[in-house]
This record gives sequence, structure tokens and C-alpha cells, in this order.
Amino acid sequence: MSQSKDNQTFDPFDPTGMLKQMRDSNMETWSKIMTDFVNTEAYAESTGAMLDAWLTTSGPFRKAMESSMAQAMAQLNMPTRDDITRLAERLTNIEMRLDDLDARLSEGAQSNDTQTTN
Amino acid sequence: MTTKESTPAVDNGMPSFSDVCEGWHRATENLDRFNRMLTTDAKIAQTPKEVVWTLNKAKLYHYIPVVPEQDRKPVPLFMVFAIMNRPHVLDLRPGHSFVEYMLRHGYDLYLMDWGEPGPEDKNMCFDDYTLEYLPRAIRKFKSVSGAEEFSMLGWCLGALISTMYAALRPDDGLKNLMLLTAPLDFSDQEAGGFTRWSSNPAFNADTIVEKLGNVPGEMIDSGAKMLKPIENYFGSYSMLWDKIENPGTVEAWHAMNTWVRDIIPMAGGAYKQLINELYKENKLVKGTLQLRGETVDLKKLKANLFNVIAEADHITPPCQSESIMDLVGSEDKELFRVRGGHIGIMAGRGAEKNTWPHMEAWLSERSGG
Repeated sequence: MSQSKDNQTFDPFDPTGMLKQMRDSNMETWSKIMTDFVNTEAYAESTGAMLDAWLTTSGPFRKAMESSMAQAMAQLNMPTRDDITRLAERLTNIEMRLDDLDARLSEGAQSNDTQTTN
Repeated sequence: MTTKESTPAVDNGMPSFSDVCEGWHRATENLDRFNRMLTTDAKIAQTPKEVVWTLNKAKLYHYIPVVPEQDRKPVPLFMVFAIMNRPHVLDLRPGHSFVEYMLRHGYDLYLMDWGEPGPEDKNMCFDDYTLEYLPRAIRKFKSVSGAEEFSMLGWCLGALISTMYAALRPDDGLKNLMLLTAPLDFSDQEAGGFTRWSSNPAFNADTIVEKLGNVPGEMIDSGAKMLKPIENYFGSYSMLWDKIENPGTVEAWHAMNTWVRDIIPMAGGAYKQLINELYKENKLVKGTLQLRGETVDLKKLKANLFNVIAEADHITPPCQSESIMDLVGSEDKELFRVRGGHIGIMAGRGAEKNTWPHMEAWLSERSGG
């Protein structure tokens, strides 16, 4: 009896004390309710619709921003984001070729070593 | 002669002034520690390693062995992690690291880190990961390790890539394949939040990728957290507050939170493929998935298979991994169920006692010369 009274004592130095008590008694229920909720068709549909609305409305702004930035960079004789992206793609392709060449050279060196040993 | 007895203080339930001061001091210290845990990074991935290969953002690491050469397992282990997280969770913190554990057991370890895709990588898809990057990394790994045969460990989408590679290149020296929480079979469209969300017609992966290029890490992270919103947005932090005076728990939480916060985007091409061809059309299990024009036939997967399933996995529900056992061509195959969640089975407190020893024992039997 006295123990249960102690447990209910409000501790002024634990700012989450009351929250903790609420959590302990309700956490499992809330967790189940929320997990079930996010697994409903209604949630899936509303999330999909919200995402679509956000992408649709923000799209024109993003496009306008990109195009004005591209113009500004062109005026300044600076490469745009697209230019750098294209360059990076080319670099990756070159890297792949270098990797293949490196592998062939290693194979060649290994077979030379084997022949020399024999 | 009379003696004066001291009157004992009456306990009226009121704290003394010194108790108040001490309590206040403790509360401010705890708040300070709590804040530090949320806003700073722990030192993770501390095991010494060297970079042996790079391509674009991808890196192949070789961990420095800790046992003499004569005591090492002849078959090295190649680890492949998911593409939308850093792989540091495999080497979370000193004293609690899968990498450390396997090094101590004599494995020669390599880790594939896919890196963070930039805008130029928005078209990268599983064809690139499986047939351009992985075979090149394995070629280098074989040349560095000198091994003809090797074992591979894939986790989450890394397990998906490993499975596709194993099926497409069965004669490339892959001897043992270990899959951890592998999302492979999406025939049950009711299983798991991701499957439900992505199967809804309102969810359009093509639009997301068209508008955003790569899928932002924040979007993937919040999607994963929303699968268990109370636990992730509230339970985790309240647990930290409860244990804030326990240094061991706080250290573990800090390391895990550091890894969780370090989010990276997912390449747009791979995201589209994952949602459309796998989650929605289930092409891998149906046998209709094609990478670079080659059909991924799971029957061609011949490597010894150890498939680890997390029973409480809300990201990859068990049914998405189990059915592979009947579809692959491997003769030596084992399904291993672990109590725990998607990450917990490998990085949780019980991992060192439950998951790692089983994985090591299975692999050890098959890692002889």
C-alpha cells in the first residue's frame, strides 16, 4: 500500500515524471493503435495524395529556380549544375574503363610472374 | 543525573534543502547529457581498415586482420550493406561490433560501402549495383585476397543485391551466401507498411524520382520511422531518459543514434526499380526480373545459403525472405529465425549472444580450404 503511494508521488526534479507514468500505462496501446493506423489503406492513400500534391505544387517553383540559376550562371560564364552532373557522369565512365585496364594490367603482370617462375 | 535524548527528525515527506539542491543538480546534469546524446556524434566504425578499391562513390574496405595468417580462415568474407544507409552499423562501437567479432574469429573481412549518391547518380539502378559495381569490387577483392572462393554477407537491400549477383554469376567463386533480413518476395501485398503504401495507386515512385532525382534520405528515414511511429518518435527517447544514468546503455544508444541520424539519399533509378518491379510486380520471385538484359533465375543460385530472418521485423516482414528457401538452387541451405527487429538482430544487445555465434558457426564449417 505504502509502496504504491510512493510510486505515485510527484517528483519535481524529474520533468518527465508524469509523462513517464502516462507512457508506462498507455504506451503499448498507443503503439498498437498507431501501427494499425499507418497500415490502413486510408493512411496509405492520404500519404500518397499529400506527397503527390507537394511534388506537384513545388515542381514549378523548383523549375523556375533552376532555370533562373542556370541563366545567372551562364551570364557569369560559370558551369551550371547540369554541366557538372554531365561531367561527373563522364568521369564515372572513365573510372570504369580505368578499373578494367587496371585489372587487365594486374592479370598480365601475374601471368608474366608465373611464366618467369616457370 | 538525567540524559537528554535527541528527538528523531519527523519524516513529513518533504525533501530537505540539500536533497532539493542535489536533485536539481542531478536533473540539470541529466538534461545536459540527454541533449548531448541528441546533438553529438559518437565514435563509430573504429576498427582499423584500408581502402583497396574505389569507383565513383563506392569504396571497398579491407579490415586489418587481428589473428596470425596461419590461423585465418582460407575463405574470406565480403560484406554488402544496403544502399540507403551507411554500413557502419556492422562495426558500431568497440566492444560491440560484428566486424570485430568476425576478425577475432579469424576471418579476412571486406566491406562494400556504396557511398552517398549525388545528382549525377540519379539514374543508377540495381543493374549498375549488381552487374557493374559489385563484380568489379569482387574482382579487386579476389586479386587482393588471393582467394578464388569467397563468402558473401548481404543485409537488407544489400542482401537483395547479393542474391541477384549470386543468381546471375553463380560461377564467380561465391561459396557461401548469408542473407540478413532480405526483402525478396513481395507476393503478400498486405505484409508490412512499405508494401501497403507502395501498392496504393496514389503512391507514384516515377513522379517522386522525376521531380526529386534521388530520393532524399529524410524521406526514406521518416517512412521507416512511420512504420512504428510511437516507438521511433517517442519510445526511443523516453527509454534514453529512463536510462540516462546508466553509462553502458547511454553509450549504446548514442552509437546507434549516430548511425541512424547519418542518412543518405537513395539513387532514383534504384528506388523506381525497387517500388515498381519488386514491391509492386514481384518480378524477382516470378522469375521475370531482368538486369542488363539477363533474367535473374533464382534456381541458378548454387552457393550454400544461410538465411537470417528477424521475427519482429517491420521493415522486411519474415514472409518476404522465407520463401526464397524453396526457390533457390542451393543444396546446402538453412533458415535461421532470430527474435528481434530489422537492425536489432545484428546490432542489439542480444546480437553477440544470439545472432553472431550462429552465423559464425555456420560459416566456419564452410570456410575451410
